[in-house]
Amino acid sequence: MNIVSLIILVPLIGAVLTLLTKTKEQARVIALVSSLAPLVGALYMIMQFDSLTPSMQFVESYNWVPSLGIYYTVGVDGIAMPLVLLAAIVVPLTIIYSWGEDKQPNQFFGLIVALQAGVMGVFTSLDFFLFYIFWELTLIPMYFLISIWGGPRKDYAAIKFFIYTHVASLVMLLGIFAIYFAVWAQTGTPSFNIPYLLEQFQLLESSLLRDSIFLALLFGFIVKMPAVPFHTWLPDAHVEAPTAGSVLLAAVLLKMGGYGLFRVMLPLLPFTGSPNLMITILGFIGVLSILYGAMLALAQTDLKKMVAYSSISHMGYVTLGAAALVPLSVSGAMFQQFSHGLITCLLFMSCGAIQHIAGTRIIADLGGIGSKMPKLTVLMLFGFMASLGLPGLSGFVAEFMILTFAYLTLPTYVLLALLGIVVTAGYHLWAMQRAVFGSLNEKLGNLHDITNYETLSMAILALLVLYFGLNPAPILGMMTTNAEQIVSLMAIAGV
Amino acid sequence: MTNYMLLAPELILTLVALTTMMVGLFIGKNKTILGYFASIGLVAALSLTVSSLNANETLFYGTLTIDALSQFFKIVFISVSLLVTIASIKYTENDQNADSFFTLLLFSTIGMMVVASANDLVTLFVGFELASLSTYALAGFDKKDPKSIEAAMKYFIIGSLSSALMLFGISFVYGMTGTTSIPGIAENAGALVGSPVGLIAVVMLIAGFGFKMALVPFHMWAPDTYQGAPTVVSALLAAGSKKMGFVAAFRVFVVALAVLSPTWQTAFAILAVITMTLGNVVAISQTSVKRMLAYSSVAQAGYIAMAFAVMTPMAFAGGILYTLSHAFMKTGAFLVVAVVGYMVLSDNKNAKDIDHIDNFKGLSKRMPFTAFAMMVFVFALSGIPPTAGYISKFVLFSSTIEAGLVWLAVIAILNSAISLYYYARVVKYMYFLPAIGGKVSEPAPYAIALILALAGVLVIGIWPEPFVYWAMEAAKVLI
Repeated sequence: MNIVSLIILVPLIGAVLTLLTKTKEQARVIALVSSLAPLVGALYMIMQFDSLTPSMQFVESYNWVPSLGIYYTVGVDGIAMPLVLLAAIVVPLTIIYSWGEDKQPNQFFGLIVALQAGVMGVFTSLDFFLFYIFWELTLIPMYFLISIWGGPRKDYAAIKFFIYTHVASLVMLLGIFAIYFAVWAQTGTPSFNIPYLLEQFQLLESSLLRDSIFLALLFGFIVKMPAVPFHTWLPDAHVEAPTAGSVLLAAVLLKMGGYGLFRVMLPLLPFTGSPNLMITILGFIGVLSILYGAMLALAQTDLKKMVAYSSISHMGYVTLGAAALVPLSVSGAMFQQFSHGLITCLLFMSCGAIQHIAGTRIIADLGGIGSKMPKLTVLMLFGFMASLGLPGLSGFVAEFMILTFAYLTLPTYVLLALLGIVVTAGYHLWAMQRAVFGSLNEKLGNLHDITNYETLSMAILALLVLYFGLNPAPILGMMTTNAEQIVSLMAIAGV
Repeated sequence: MTNYMLLAPELILTLVALTTMMVGLFIGKNKTILGYFASIGLVAALSLTVSSLNANETLFYGTLTIDALSQFFKIVFISVSLLVTIASIKYTENDQNADSFFTLLLFSTIGMMVVASANDLVTLFVGFELASLSTYALAGFDKKDPKSIEAAMKYFIIGSLSSALMLFGISFVYGMTGTTSIPGIAENAGALVGSPVGLIAVVMLIAGFGFKMALVPFHMWAPDTYQGAPTVVSALLAAGSKKMGFVAAFRVFVVALAVLSPTWQTAFAILAVITMTLGNVVAISQTSVKRMLAYSSVAQAGYIAMAFAVMTPMAFAGGILYTLSHAFMKTGAFLVVAVVGYMVLSDNKNAKDIDHIDNFKGLSKRMPFTAFAMMVFVFALSGIPPTAGYISKFVLFSSTIEAGLVWLAVIAILNSAISLYYYARVVKYMYFLPAIGGKVSEPAPYAIALILALAGVLVIGIWPEPFVYWAMEAAKVLI
């Protein structure tokens, strides 16, 4: 068994062990250890990783259901590796942040670790059957996190989250069936192997079939991202989810949608019946998400809802960068996923801390809390600055690359997206100014600063955001190798 | 040279059933031992059936056939019976009629096994009646409960009607083809093509089998009967006796009346769609978990019926695999309802509506294992990986895409999504609502039956290869 299987299996076993513990102490320690193990594994993989080849590394394959062409195949490349690292970083930090959780701690931490196993599986599966299983497996822990530890409208939000994303997954499943059978009919051998199916896709004769497959798969992924107009489940889920749930949802689960875009959609795009139309659709969705998400964020009165809409806006850059199909815009989009994962974590943790300490997240009811909570203020300000794209931090690198290089192929969309930057800066600064600075709102009562556990996890995130802002090259290097390969398909297809 | 060893499972069960009946007359009040005896007989029959999976022979002048299909369905029937028998050890604990209960249970199993093997319409009918008559009596076993009697009466009257329709259909087929042997009919079925008699025969047979399969519009009896009958019997009806309708339909339509497929294929497509849609939509509004499971069982029959509409080897394999998975998940879910009923009655002897969903509130605190098992069963029923329900839906639904019936796949998948709503509600009640009352431990027989059902659901889900392979082998018998 190689390293990739281990980073899936260890959290899976850890989750079961955590669920079986009796005390809070045992639960959180076991959960932390079993979520740190994948981090060690991911760091080891990064060291061994060859950034110069776009092919799969650490591949492992076993027979599973050979009569249907189903194999247990896992491996990583430059698209998956950074996201594996992201999930390995974010989950232990979430556990540290939630160190004081008192309500059913064994289930709480167990579900978080189970989620990590599912996400690792999604990012490393090279077999559509396996991929779909992990894709669905991530739903269940999240559903429970929202509906047990959530806010007042948790039932509604949990069911909406579940049904919305489940329906999207089912549509994606239809697409998977279609590509599977179409390729089976074409070649005579059944296979769910993702790279194989993506390669064979171009040989399918009917362009209608190719378009239908593309759109079905695309729907599954963009609902997950989520892109406007399929975003309505996200704000509800975020507002009602506990902080740890929001963090994992925004930092890791949304990235599964973006991952699908790079892993599956872009390699198929040049070979669909009408690639230019598909690029227009993707670019349009991207810009719409950037602008509409930012506008909605500006209008929010709830700090957490604002951050939720800012996620939609930032994920729009991923779609736009991918649609531009310039090597550096595509790798910028991949880097945006990684960077946004870290930054949004910091933002949701700040919101969670404010809710926890001040008892409200309504911006108008806050005000001047900075004077009482200096540590939180510094870290939160850092997060907000990163989120609005301050140079030197990771968000800037990603968005700069996307906008600069996407201009080469999609200039109109980029000019529109630039408007979004102004709005983005606006809602971040305005919210900070109203909630944190100014004179203290006397009605808030006794405020204290964040706990050491919260500080630790947020400080680590802030340092990582700074580190990857100053030194993005190692991660970007892996991404660019794969981005170039994806873009070269366009030339092969003659688009 | 005929190999009578292939009939050993049926023979063993007949002997066990007769012995149970005789011994029951002589032993006194405590008849639990008979339940253990019946379980051992079923385990023996199961292992003998598994050992002859690859057999392919016909016996008794071609009236019985032992092939991959019959063996697969026999495994389904015996497994369901075994789970129900084990759980019933607790259910019939202080009942002095326990001997009749187990005898009837075994006879109904034998009946279903005969149907699975039937290679002649008369044999098929005899098996059908043996199974049906035994289950009519079982449904009314709780004879002091008016609901149970109502369930049995309804089931009996409608069941008899369906038998009559089926026999009517059989007589038409016999009249036109001159034989009741299934391969013989397949040879001469050309006489039925294009004739109104053939059409009537198909309609009658669909109605006859449709009652057993609980396809809409022949489903009316199912919710009432499943709700009124003792819960362990509902498990047998929903998971076992319903599958008898499917195996009979596989033999009669796909093998014997294959040339008429344009006629019945469309009929099954329409029935499948309305069955799954109506079952799922009505299940949403149910407050009785048993009734909800009954409607969900109707919906699941709709999924399986898609196999007849798609008519590819993959679809048949999917449908056959689905019957096996459904056997475990549905039996398991009904047994959980039985355990909860036991819990409610142990709180309060005169409790009413023991299958009401309110009794599932906080079940995770009161009976953690049962709640976990129920969660796995309902997730399996809704088709969430890595459970048996997922792999079966995967194979079955994917076959519709293969055959180009995208509209059918879309309807099935939307249905699957609707069904999540009411299944998730059960999970919500068990895990998120506060418990009323203290912790209760599951009686051993129930716990064992639940563990076995859970193992079935998870093993098929996690390591599906052998089951997919068997299902494909069984499907080869049909095409």
